[in-house]
Amino acid sequence: MTEKALHVLLVEDNAGDARLLREMFSKEKVESFHLTHYLRMSDAETHLAKGGVDIVLLDMGLPDAHGIETVRRARAAAPNVPMIVLTGLEDEALAAEAMKEGAQDYLIKGQIESRALPRALRHAIERHRMQVETDLVRILQLQLKDEFLSHVSHELRSPLTSIYSFSSIIADGLAGQTSPQQDEYLQIILKNVSQLQAMIEDLIMVMQAQTGKLSVELLQTSVADAIVYAVDTLRRAAAAKDITVTFRPSKTLRLAYADPTRLRQILTILLDNAIKFTPTGGAVHIGAQSFEDDPTFLRVEVSDTGRGISSKAAERIFDRLYQVSDNGEAGRNGLGLGLYIAQDLVARQGGRIWVRSELQQGSHFSFIVPVFSLEGLIAPILAHEQKPGEAIAVLSVEITSRVNSQAVPSEILSLARSLLQQCLRPDTDLLLPNLNAASEHMLFYVIAYTQQQGAEVIERRILSQLRRNGQLQPADFTIAVSHSFLDPISRDANESMKTFIGQVAAGIQDHIGKQSFQERS
Amino acid sequence: MSQKKILIVDDDPEVRLSLHVRLKVNNYDVVFAGDGVASIAEARKHMPDLIILDLGLPAGDGFSVLERLKANVILSMIPVIVVSGRVRIPNREWALKAGAIAFLQKPVDNARLLSVIRHALGEKGSSEPVVYELGDTVN
Repeated sequence: MTEKALHVLLVEDNAGDARLLREMFSKEKVESFHLTHYLRMSDAETHLAKGGVDIVLLDMGLPDAHGIETVRRARAAAPNVPMIVLTGLEDEALAAEAMKEGAQDYLIKGQIESRALPRALRHAIERHRMQVETDLVRILQLQLKDEFLSHVSHELRSPLTSIYSFSSIIADGLAGQTSPQQDEYLQIILKNVSQLQAMIEDLIMVMQAQTGKLSVELLQTSVADAIVYAVDTLRRAAAAKDITVTFRPSKTLRLAYADPTRLRQILTILLDNAIKFTPTGGAVHIGAQSFEDDPTFLRVEVSDTGRGISSKAAERIFDRLYQVSDNGEAGRNGLGLGLYIAQDLVARQGGRIWVRSELQQGSHFSFIVPVFSLEGLIAPILAHEQKPGEAIAVLSVEITSRVNSQAVPSEILSLARSLLQQCLRPDTDLLLPNLNAASEHMLFYVIAYTQQQGAEVIERRILSQLRRNGQLQPADFTIAVSHSFLDPISRDANESMKTFIGQVAAGIQDHIGKQSFQERS
Repeated sequence: MSQKKILIVDDDPEVRLSLHVRLKVNNYDVVFAGDGVASIAEARKHMPDLIILDLGLPAGDGFSVLERLKANVILSMIPVIVVSGRVRIPNREWALKAGAIAFLQKPVDNARLLSVIRHALGEKGSSEPVVYELGDTVN
């Protein structure tokens, strides 16, 4: 089998180095290598874009690109072409960085053996090929898992839908009059449909978490709202067992930085559990306060007067599929995924969950989630180096429905949010989470480190991006985008970053209006 | 007041039958299509006030139906509710981006389905906003 000639692209501006390397190749068989040589990054980029290159030999100090930038640009021009970087003796740290950016190997100039070079090239190409294959296999596996998930979801839900639809049609008397006894039995069927459905939901959720499809969107959000939602959802279940559920929100409770949907899920799981394991006539109490050990977290506690958990069981209670063994008193328990899911969701929001319990003394489940802090949010964009003329711009984007002053549906709200996100530069712009926790009013704020011109560019980008979407047309919504700059805050060398961040945060708060940052009473 | 017409697009005859019973009793006129191609033809023929669309369909899945509806000047005016047994993420987002006004997961609670339908048709007594996050469970 004859080997195909390798097309090597050499990017090197130093004439001496380039000559040495060329000579190494000239000792090889003419048909095994085809060498192209450029002095500048820009020419190399043009050449790479045409395709056909098998490997790049890249010097990291070029007239028009330097250091790690050379690697990034070469990768951008040809993401799938393996690359070996050429560095000086003192630059091994830089070489390591280049490897992190995707270079396959590095060679130190002046230490390259002529026979080692072709071998290094072939090895780099082979390693790259294997890496691509491994990535491909992993992607395929995830795709398969995903397809399976989709299939399971659909196939389990279809028969369940039929059972639900027709039992409820009979129960509602749409297929003739039913006897009281028939009604009672139909309610049992419907209750079981609910249980099955909840189990399917849990299964899908766990599988989605495993394929990385479980999304968590952190926002400024009210824990109290999530608790009220969960209590509302399970009101009937509690009433059926004559269990009193109490929740007294503290007036000074701060907003959390969490995903409102996921918070509601966690609370629904904990409350459902508490009701399930508390005997008739018992009590469940929910509390929410600042976390005693760390005021940057909120702690939520769900306590019951149930039979409690042994310390041995408490250790394993958040494990997947774990179920506390019982004497049949609680009936069927489901899949044993609830607390596992709760733990996973808490962890994904930067929190922690634990249980304190003794047998026959009831259980106290606690979890913590971070308190919302504007400082924490803006810190990353302020770390960006300030250029002359740059300042902090606050852009406001207001979307109002034209239809009967109706509230904007939450779907449109999250659609607008994801469209806005696409308009921003990752390092210097920040879309603030919804400042009014439960509002259907669409007012978004973007903080951008930019100049006057830059702010105008972002404004135009936002407007056209939103209008391009079929659901945000002028007939249905008005969109107003505007910007202004914060008063300049001097950032002298002696001042700590923390003070600076604090001042900027205060500036933004003043700008937007302090009331937006406080919990509604 | 004339009856509002709803086009149900679903390949499962059991779903069509149960929705037929449920919607008739609530005073809606119901027409059907069992696949992607028929759904566009039926939409043109009947010009319904609302379309309830399943995602898994023969002859062009629900997304391509949605695309074709939204690409047509007249048909794009008809509100579409996607009702599917598929996983919520990412289908919900796709459906909404493609122009559906709501994504409901099967099995859909009857009261909820009716509330979303009334909301979509702009009928009175539909104060409930179209918010379905956790809420698609049957209670």
